[in-house]
Parts: sequence; structure tokens; C-alpha cells
Amino acid sequence: MRLSAGIVAGASVIHALWITSICLQGLLGLVLLTKKSWERFPLFTSYALFNLLEMIAGYVARTNPTIYFRLYWCGEAISILLGLAVVYEIFRTIFVQHPALRRLALFLFALAILGLLIVGGMVIWAKNPGDSKSMTSAILVIAEATRILEVGLLMFLFIFSSAFGLHWRQSTFGIAMGLGIFTAVELLSVTMQSEWGTASVAVFNLIRMLAFNISLLVWIAYIFLPERVAESDLPQRAQLEQWNQAVMELIRQ
Amino acid sequence: MITLFVIALALCAILLLYVAAHSRRRGARAPRPVDLAAFRTLTDRGDEMFLRDRLPRSRFFRLKRERIGVTLRYVSRISANAAAVMRLGENAKLSSDPQVALAAHQITELATHIRIQCMVAFAKLSMEYAIPSLQLTPAVLAPQYQALRENVSRLGRLQVADATQLPVAI
Repeated sequence: MRLSAGIVAGASVIHALWITSICLQGLLGLVLLTKKSWERFPLFTSYALFNLLEMIAGYVARTNPTIYFRLYWCGEAISILLGLAVVYEIFRTIFVQHPALRRLALFLFALAILGLLIVGGMVIWAKNPGDSKSMTSAILVIAEATRILEVGLLMFLFIFSSAFGLHWRQSTFGIAMGLGIFTAVELLSVTMQSEWGTASVAVFNLIRMLAFNISLLVWIAYIFLPERVAESDLPQRAQLEQWNQAVMELIRQ
Repeated sequence: MITLFVIALALCAILLLYVAAHSRRRGARAPRPVDLAAFRTLTDRGDEMFLRDRLPRSRFFRLKRERIGVTLRYVSRISANAAAVMRLGENAKLSSDPQVALAAHQITELATHIRIQCMVAFAKLSMEYAIPSLQLTPAVLAPQYQALRENVSRLGRLQVADATQLPVAI
């Protein structure tokens, strides 16, 4: 009796989060359209709008397991591909302002893709989705491998830009942050779910929905709020003159 | 094993996002002054040769490591200051005056080169720290640095003429 009450409560929490997610995605779509974000971030706008459509379609089809299963995993596959495209869009947006770094960044980005593909391949090889008892387990392994690529590339972007002191515009940072939160939690979820099996599905669904809703809030906030430029952050002439001399000394060595 | 690795990767990603959000909230660090006389002594190869000839090997190695540690802090400061110039350039790029925007573009480019050279300097100094008997050619912080100086000065003059109130660089 107590167990069934818990299941019902869990199901209603997931349902509430689902509805919240649809509302937040609608709001994000509105923000993207009013801010004309498709001009700067066409791939992210497509990603956000596709997720909204996928979520609505999933909600409508939730009573039919067969249709829902197909819709969900097809949607996930497209969403992952669009997510990777968004990562590339972030990369392009950051480095379009720094042509001097572009070649080096492109080379390292390609190297990171290669390394992550190897890791993803190792995951697929180690877990061998062909041997899986169910279709879902096989799909989870593939999802895990592709999420590794997505999370790894986002990590690369954060580390690289931090190493070179690149300043991200607010909206770019927000998009990367939101995507990072969601994909990192998603990677954690699919990895653990593929290990623990179907018993943990409800818990991980809850965690993923929470993470996705947090990401939606991050996207809405960073895209909606105006860019903040703190004049006090900028260098003063006297200070720059000093370090200028210091660098000249270093060059002479 | 592979599962643990993937979980660690995801957790590292979450930690990295937290650090990125935290450092962004803290804002850009203001440029800090550099003690020129001390810096000159630290990077003087002649001084290093003198110490190598006079001191016992183990003592020289210890001393060299200490010097490298301090030099690394100077290079780190220069690198942070280059990032501040890059940020200044990015903001000035938005100017409606095409001359200001062009000058800003040039200083951003040159500051980026300085930043790359600082990374090279970090790598070389770290190598020397690990193997003190090495004497790698110090990183050449791009001959374009003189151009950076001139360009930033030009940008400063342009911005005064433009009355955009942005702080003046180098």
C-alpha cells in the first residue's frame, strides 16, 4: 500500500515536471523569438524549438507505449545531433572574434573530437550493445557514447577559453552553461541507468527532468537579461603602462 | 572500469561548470603591477650562468627552481593583463567609429599572440623547473608586442577623440 502510494507520488512529480518543462520551453521559444536569437544562434534556436515539439509530441503520445518509445528515441537521436551542432555553434561564436586563435583552436578541437570518439568507441566496445537483452539497453549505450562526445567538447571549450583568457558574451556563456548542466547530468544518468537496469528508470527520469528544467531556466535568464559590461573591470592606463614595460623586458631576454 | 571513468568525466564536467560560473561572477581581475627590477634579474641568463659556475650543483638547482617559481608568477601576471587587454579590445570593437573598431581588432589580435607566447613561456619554464639543468630559450613574446603597444595607444587617442569614455589602454 505504502509502495504504491510512493509510485503514484513519484509519477505525479514527474508529470508536474513534464508540464513545467513544456511551459519553460514555450517561454524560451518566446524569448528566442522576441530577441531574434535565430540570427546569432540559428542552431540553438532550432535545438530549442525541436525540443519543445518533441516534448509536446511525447506528452500527447504518452498513453501509447509503442508510439512513445519510437518517438522518444528518434527525438533523442535528433536532439543529440542538434546538441552537437550547438556545441559547434558556440565554438564558432567564441573564435570568430579571435582569428589569431582560430587555427590552433580548430586543430585542438579536432584532436578533442578524435580523442572523445575513441573513448565513445571504447564504451561501445566494452558494453557491447549487440549483446544487450533489450533494445533500450543497446540504445542507452549508444546514447552514453554520444553524450561523452558532447560533454567532452563542452569541457574542451571551457578549458581552452579559460587558458587563453577569452571572455564569453553573456548569451553564449548561458547557452554553453545550460547545455553543459543538462548533458553532464544526462551522461551520468544514462551511464548509471545502463548499469543498474530498468529498476532505476523512474529515479533517473526525475533527475534528468530536473536538470533539463534547470538548463531551461539558465537559458531563459542568460538570453533574456541584458548584457552587463562593468567598466570597473577594464584596465587603467597607469597599470597597463607598468605591465607593458614588464613584457618589453621579457621580450628582450 | 570504463563506467567509473565516464562517471568521473561527468562529475568533472559539473565541477568545471561550477568553477566557470563562479569565476564569471567574480569578474575580470584588474591588471596588477610588476616589479621590473626583480623581473629583469630573474630572467637574466648571465646571472644564471654566474650562479651555475659558483654554486654547488644541488644548491644551484634549488635556487633555480625558486627563481622559476617567481618568474612563473610574473608571466602569469602578464598573461592575466593580456586577457584584460583582450577584453578591453572586445568592448571597443563595438564602437560606432570604424577607426576605433579597427584599432580594437588589432590590439585584440596582438594581445592574443602575447597570451599564446605566455603559454609557451609557461611550458618552457615548467620544463626547466622539472629538469633544472635545461636552459631553454626563453619564450619570445612576439616581436609584434611593440605593435600592440602602439595600437593600444592609438586606440586610446581615438577613444578620447570619440569621447566614448572607455578606459585608455597601454
